[in-house]
Amino acid sequence: MNKIFLLSVLMSFFFIRCEKVIDIEVPSIEPKLIIDASFEVLFDQTPVTSNNSVKLRLSADYFDDTIPVVTDATVFLTNLSDNSIISFTDENTDGDYEPVDSFTPLDGVAYELTVIHNNEIYKAKATKIKSSKITSIVQGEKTLFSGEEVELKISFKDDEAMKNHYLINVDRYNYLPIEDRYFNGSDYNFSYFYEDENIEFPKTIDIKLSGITQEYFTYFRILIGQSGQNAGGPFQSAPSSLLGNIINTTNEANFPLGYFHISETDTFKIELVE
Amino acid sequence: MPKGTYKVQVNYLGYYSIVETIILNKKITKNFKLEEESESLDEIVIKSNIEKLNVKTPQMSVNRLTSATIKQIPVVLGEADIIKSLILLPGVTSAGEGASGFNVRGGAADQNLILLDEAVVFNSSHLFGFFSVFNPDVIKDVKLYKGGIPSKYGGRLSSVLDIYQKEGNSNDFKLTGGIGLVSSRLLAEGPIEKGKSSFLIGGRASYAHLFLPLFNNENKAYFYDLNSKINYRFNDQNNLFLSTYFGKDVFGISDNFVNKYGNSVVNLRWNHLYSDKLFSNLSIIYSDYFYGLILDFVGFEWDSGITNFNLKYDFKHYINNDFKLSYGISSIYSKFNPGKIVPNRPDSGIIAEKLTDKYANEFASYIDAEHTLSDKLRVQYGIRFSNFTRLGQDELNVYKDNKPVLYDTEFKKYKAAEAIASDSFKRSDVISSFNNFEPRFSLSYTLDDQTSIKASYNRMAQYLHLLSNTSSPAPLDVWTPSGKYIKPQLLDQFAIGYFKFLKDGDYSIETEAFYKDIQNRIDYINGANLVANNEIETVILNGKARAYGLEILVKKNQGKLKGWLAYTLSKSEQLTAGRTLNEPGINDGEWYNTPYDKTHDFSINASYELNKKWKFNTNFVFQTGQPTNYPVGQYEVQSLNVPIYNDNSRNSDRLPAYHRLDISATLNPEKNNKRKWQAEWVFGIYNVYGRQNAASVNFSQNRETSRNEAVQTAIFGLVPSVTYNFKF
Repeated sequence: MNKIFLLSVLMSFFFIRCEKVIDIEVPSIEPKLIIDASFEVLFDQTPVTSNNSVKLRLSADYFDDTIPVVTDATVFLTNLSDNSIISFTDENTDGDYEPVDSFTPLDGVAYELTVIHNNEIYKAKATKIKSSKITSIVQGEKTLFSGEEVELKISFKDDEAMKNHYLINVDRYNYLPIEDRYFNGSDYNFSYFYEDENIEFPKTIDIKLSGITQEYFTYFRILIGQSGQNAGGPFQSAPSSLLGNIINTTNEANFPLGYFHISETDTFKIELVE
Repeated sequence: MPKGTYKVQVNYLGYYSIVETIILNKKITKNFKLEEESESLDEIVIKSNIEKLNVKTPQMSVNRLTSATIKQIPVVLGEADIIKSLILLPGVTSAGEGASGFNVRGGAADQNLILLDEAVVFNSSHLFGFFSVFNPDVIKDVKLYKGGIPSKYGGRLSSVLDIYQKEGNSNDFKLTGGIGLVSSRLLAEGPIEKGKSSFLIGGRASYAHLFLPLFNNENKAYFYDLNSKINYRFNDQNNLFLSTYFGKDVFGISDNFVNKYGNSVVNLRWNHLYSDKLFSNLSIIYSDYFYGLILDFVGFEWDSGITNFNLKYDFKHYINNDFKLSYGISSIYSKFNPGKIVPNRPDSGIIAEKLTDKYANEFASYIDAEHTLSDKLRVQYGIRFSNFTRLGQDELNVYKDNKPVLYDTEFKKYKAAEAIASDSFKRSDVISSFNNFEPRFSLSYTLDDQTSIKASYNRMAQYLHLLSNTSSPAPLDVWTPSGKYIKPQLLDQFAIGYFKFLKDGDYSIETEAFYKDIQNRIDYINGANLVANNEIETVILNGKARAYGLEILVKKNQGKLKGWLAYTLSKSEQLTAGRTLNEPGINDGEWYNTPYDKTHDFSINASYELNKKWKFNTNFVFQTGQPTNYPVGQYEVQSLNVPIYNDNSRNSDRLPAYHRLDISATLNPEKNNKRKWQAEWVFGIYNVYGRQNAASVNFSQNRETSRNEAVQTAIFGLVPSVTYNFKF
């Protein structure tokens, strides 16, 4: 339950609100290294494949149109069970580093990510997190606030033996982190309301269910809040810098942003009709 | 009093004064029946006006408003509103339009003690803050203490908003009402047994949902409230009063989402005169706040709330003309329901969970003296002793080293500790107990009949905390008691003021400076989730707060043109230091602005009585923009564009300044003179020059253009309104 989201939506229904884009001068800081490394092991496919991209960028001023990519870094992964090295390379020089040889993270193995950039070494650790399989996703008839949403009835079976956290990703940009506190072990079903102002039916969208750590769950909740953060207004809460799980071992103060995480991910395609 | 002939004058805010000559040659107890001022009888010039400053009493930092004044102040959509009217006074602000609660002298919204006929009201807003819960017809008067708070009051740090409901007319049956754009009101009052007992019952209901075209039939959005007061006079020495308030908000979008919340308050009060010098009031009060939510699309129902019972016995003792005592005791038993979640349909898959209920008792005793030391020097002094006891509950978590919050030095963030055990207690067990002595002192020194200097000091203790990390409280915020992990908030406030009447009281000037220091003000770790959190202690950091400022109020009390000009210059800050040297605290352990810090706050309210038929009223408000945070950069993670915020400049940016002008005109039709039915029309325009005041600035990426934008949202542009009020 996201209170801030909920209340902002409620308020917008009551009164004539006027929105306009305004010019605001915002402060700027020295660029920071961004390490976006969320690996997905598509465990329900045969053979099992995985998306293992490490995206390196630099932070930019808020109103800059482009975010600079980092193409001159050294990136590798260490399998901490046998100390083997998995090398990554940025073949297309677009800042997206992929494993040189095909690679799928193993169960129960801790990996250490190392990024060397500008003579500073950044490190983070992750172990693959189990997910559950999506039982079904069907399109429903209901709407929520705007009346334009498409209802997706999502169901999956939670693993009772574990405390699970999940990240649901709908059509790339929409995320919902959930925890099994209220549905541990049950056949859980809920409605997700998908909204795309310019939707043209029929439209096929991808939905992903990933198993995540509790820390990544918290991180992502804040991330989502900040990416559409209300500044000001009665329901704002003061935002602050969002640190992930990567540390700069050379120069602690120059901390990077981003996260290294490995999840099991189940994917589902659905064609939405009018 | 020695024998002789005396002139007795009885004044009460909003009522005609009575002046009676009494020849005192034996013991007399005399009751006076005050008649309410009615606007149709404006040819009577009333020189006594209780909203007017009292230069001589030691009481300072207090503002009073009558129901009549409140009804004339132009407000959005014509809904006469106590809290929106208070905001026009110095030292009182709110987080903006549509923000619930109010802030007094840089204090938080949960630090206001709101009393309706002596009963605590937990939520003062309807519709998330657009309107306040008090029906202006039912209100006798409103008194706001911002400082120099007498020892009779306690339990909140910043202010006391003491609201009294009217008593029903004991001679005639009367109906009062109003029809507005948002809601309508109706109030009936009259004698039950003439001269002995009377009743008053008032209701108010909104119908916003009926005409808001956005809604189709499936949706609902309304509020209502019901006030009543019954009084029974046994004899000259004994009176019984029963006051109730019941209010509710309901908001729903189809069956997917339903939100309900409201207050209920009942007070039974026995007023007894032991002698002509000793008065007493014994009250039994029940107060309840409920919040409920149904989220069908996730498959659950949620409810939370707070219930309390209060027993209090207050005495007023007139020792002699120069010395008066007030004393009493009070005990409040509270039960806190932080939340309960249950599946709302058989196939929901949600497993029911009950967050642990908490129980507490707050006991207080006080004594307060009003003492005239000389013609020039008057003092009021007293002390309040309060004791707060957390009573036994289930599952009180135990943490390693007694630390529910950990600091991760590697990743530089605070995180919740895992409980290592949990204790269960019997209800009668005492988990924690706090005692506080709260001294209060104020004095006035009159320089001449028209001028005085006043000073005051008060210490207050607050044992309840509203868990809220947004800049104004939301209805689903939960109250939590002090206990093992959360300490009571303590305040010391000093104030000094200069008060002067000009032109025999036609004008008055009040100037006050204040300084407040607050211990144990809580703040929250980054990303704290306050909703349905059973281990709330794991996201709380302890800090302190301070506020200081200067207030000026210039009033014109008499004549065709009346009104005031108020200016406040102030600062309100918070500090949350690290618990050890290795921890940064919040904002690197430096002072930061509270979300309700407003440097400048300027307002004008003026009313002009053109003739018997027309009366005009206007407000102008200017405030420094609300503190906020602007991003210092951007990046992308998992296709999301994320702004970067600084960790050492919390709340240091500002929304654009807020200002607006409102006008209203009250028409008293000539037909009123010849009939019993008295009617008036109030026409208003809120925000005359249609300023788009920023309620928020939202930083996000425009999906179509993939460019980052700052989008400002304004809630109210120019809003016209019309209200019809009647009485017969």
